[in-house]
Amino acid sequence: MALPTSREGPTGQMLSAAKTPAPAHGPERREWTEMSELTHAPAQRRSIGGQLLGGSQLVLGAILAVLCIAISIAAPQFYSEPNIIAILRQCALVLIVASGMTMLIITAEVDLSVGASLAFVGCIGMAVLNSTHSLTLGMLAALAFAGGVGLFNGLVVTRLRVNSLIATIGTMMMLQGGVYLFTREAVQNHNRLAIFTDLGAGYVGAVPVPVILAALIFAVAYVTLRFTTLGRYLYAVGANEKAVRLSGLRSERLKLFGFVVTGLCVGVAGMILSSLMNAGQPTAGRGFELTVIAAVILGGTSLLGGRGSLFGTLLGVLVLKVIDNGIIILSWNQDLQMVVPGIVIILATYLDIIRNKANVR
Amino acid sequence: MSVDFLHPGEGAAIDTDVPALELRGIGKRFPGVVALDNVDFTLEPGKIHALMGENGAGKSTLIKIMAGVYGKDAGTIRMRGREVDIKSPRDSLKEGIKVVFQEIALISEFTVAENIFLEGYPTGKAGSIDWKKIRADSAALFNRIGFDVDPAARTGSLPVSQQQMVEIARALAHEARVVVMDEPTSSLTPNEVSLLFTVIRRVAALGIAVVYVSHKLDEVFEIADTVTVLRDGRHISTRPIGEHTNDTLIQDMIGRRIDNLFPRKRGAPGSKVALSVENLSTAKKLDEVSFEARAGEVLGFFGLMGAGRTELAKAIVGYDPITAGTITVDGQRLAPHDTRTGVKLGIGLLTEDRKSEGLMGELPVYQNASLASLGAFARLGFVDKAKENRAVQDYVDRFRIKTPSLFQQVKNLSGGNQQKVLISRWLMRGLKVIVVDEPTRGIDVGAKSEIFALIDRLAGEGLAVVMMTSEMPELLGLSDRIAVMCEGRLTAIMSREEATQEKILNAAIG
Repeated sequence: MALPTSREGPTGQMLSAAKTPAPAHGPERREWTEMSELTHAPAQRRSIGGQLLGGSQLVLGAILAVLCIAISIAAPQFYSEPNIIAILRQCALVLIVASGMTMLIITAEVDLSVGASLAFVGCIGMAVLNSTHSLTLGMLAALAFAGGVGLFNGLVVTRLRVNSLIATIGTMMMLQGGVYLFTREAVQNHNRLAIFTDLGAGYVGAVPVPVILAALIFAVAYVTLRFTTLGRYLYAVGANEKAVRLSGLRSERLKLFGFVVTGLCVGVAGMILSSLMNAGQPTAGRGFELTVIAAVILGGTSLLGGRGSLFGTLLGVLVLKVIDNGIIILSWNQDLQMVVPGIVIILATYLDIIRNKANVR
Repeated sequence: MSVDFLHPGEGAAIDTDVPALELRGIGKRFPGVVALDNVDFTLEPGKIHALMGENGAGKSTLIKIMAGVYGKDAGTIRMRGREVDIKSPRDSLKEGIKVVFQEIALISEFTVAENIFLEGYPTGKAGSIDWKKIRADSAALFNRIGFDVDPAARTGSLPVSQQQMVEIARALAHEARVVVMDEPTSSLTPNEVSLLFTVIRRVAALGIAVVYVSHKLDEVFEIADTVTVLRDGRHISTRPIGEHTNDTLIQDMIGRRIDNLFPRKRGAPGSKVALSVENLSTAKKLDEVSFEARAGEVLGFFGLMGAGRTELAKAIVGYDPITAGTITVDGQRLAPHDTRTGVKLGIGLLTEDRKSEGLMGELPVYQNASLASLGAFARLGFVDKAKENRAVQDYVDRFRIKTPSLFQQVKNLSGGNQQKVLISRWLMRGLKVIVVDEPTRGIDVGAKSEIFALIDRLAGEGLAVVMMTSEMPELLGLSDRIAVMCEGRLTAIMSREEATQEKILNAAIG
């Protein structure tokens, strides 16, 4: 069974009551069907053409495949092990935050403060690490700060009812300025903890640690969205918040959850980033929020909420990072690293619109 | 810029023998479905022609072909005997076909007069817009159709009913030969409807052919000269309204007879009080409303628009805050403004606004049905999807919910089937009190009787049903007792036996 968002199932295959074995119910239940003889509904009007294409992931998967093939033809070293590892490492940071962001956008909210928070988190984590020489405490401080930022965003949006776009732009500005109140320059790494260095640069076997962390977070988020009641409620609140509230569920808490989870993901990513840079950089993470949101949207998650999948987000991250990588190994002008993804986002969204049009009559 | 409407005699003479618009053998396919199959539709000038049919019958496709929104695949279109080729909305407007769609399409920041001449502003010397003429012409136009509104008013400041009048006036501002009205009364009060009918009659009297699309039978009997019925994309009948009765019209629309729209199978209500509301007040509307509903009873609430029925419905399920009063469900006090305890105690709302408060349109049928009861299908937070799907399938079978599969997006279902999905949502949860607000709004005649039967069954199973309705037949056909509201107050409660239309309406006026 596919994700809740995908259009599935062959059309015209009506489930007839006769085909399904009658569920065990008391005789009084069976009477319900009597009146159903009056049933009359207009024929379902669904196009067949639209069904041939799967989800928006199909478009994206095709784009990814074309990219990989094209780049490897032009530059065979694309498929070398070091390059693939490099791409995955690049993907890890984005994927970690994009996992939380996917959940949040599914609830029809968005968080633009993740980039600014990422930089601040790195500085705070590094400072705590320097003074305590404990990765656990540094990590906890990072998570507490980033989770707190998420909680703040969530409360502003759900309690004060400020639109999340505006609220998180406000938070972003506060954090971008606030980090300079905290430190004028990069917080250097004074602790020399090997385990901290491993967080960003270490390997387990051939796989970089950040990739493993990203895979873990991705897996937890994936399972949550697909198999749990919580995941279903997140989709539900994005699809129709009023209906969720009328059904006796606390829609605000679900949104709050999305914000906090996104914050915690930023906490993890911020520590990995500071490990990679061996410092907490107040200037890090500029534009990071755009990359994350671009990946999520590229993956077919609707900004209107209720629609989206983590698998799509994974593809979105891969597409963006393969483009980055391709531009580097083909020795193109590095400034294209911003230009090309911009084109791809518009193109992919347009293709998705075409696909949707084929779906609607 | 000529405004033919103001000088009907000066335009092309209206010849009443030649049809204003003649559609012959119209066919239209969409991928996988035939929307229209060999449909004929002929409009006489000066006549009001009702176009009826259930959702999906092809009414809107036909209108959209006339409006140039869709191209036809087969057939011919003649305007006053001359074959025309309508390829775009522009062509259609040029031929004088004006469609007033259900959704208001005015620019709310513009004045009424500006909106009316949106299609083309009269210009004065040097190409500047002649504002004086616009206002004067608008005023003359309103005068002609008996419509009292200030042309200089900002459109957005008018009530919806008046905006609709502006839409109609706009249709007439430039040469109009055919005016199509798509379910124009869906958001109007009875008074506004009668005003609209006056306007429509005046429009017809000017020799314009009017198409009146509706599925409200009483309206069609009141206003139409001729009725054409479509069903499943085919033309079923065209007859003068005098040859129809309620029964024949329904039969044409749904292809079979409905013997009894309100079958009553349940027994007498019990004596146990399931819901008790005392002195309930809200900030905006409700004023000291008190009543009780018993298990197994349908308590119908009637009131004119603005009486406060929906407000009451939302307050008693805990959706809206209250300023005073108590709500007791099955002996337990409900914390106000808290749907969570409401649902736990067993009270739920079947909303009047399915799209914005009930359905999760993008999500599949099964997720819509199980929303309120998902916890029952979960272990340690993980959904047992097989168990859930079996339970939903059970309801789909029992209510004969027409859907290609459980995974169909619910927005693709018909109104009646969507309503059944939402009723399933509550039945799967198990309620003691269900508040249904306008349960058949936007639902076809055929499906209506099913919803009525469902409500009857709900009460038969021992639920207290609190039904808010503005439809008199529904109220009288289903209720055990009838409560009447006026401006936020409860003005009468009577048993079904003592209720008459007159008594109810008197109480509704206050």
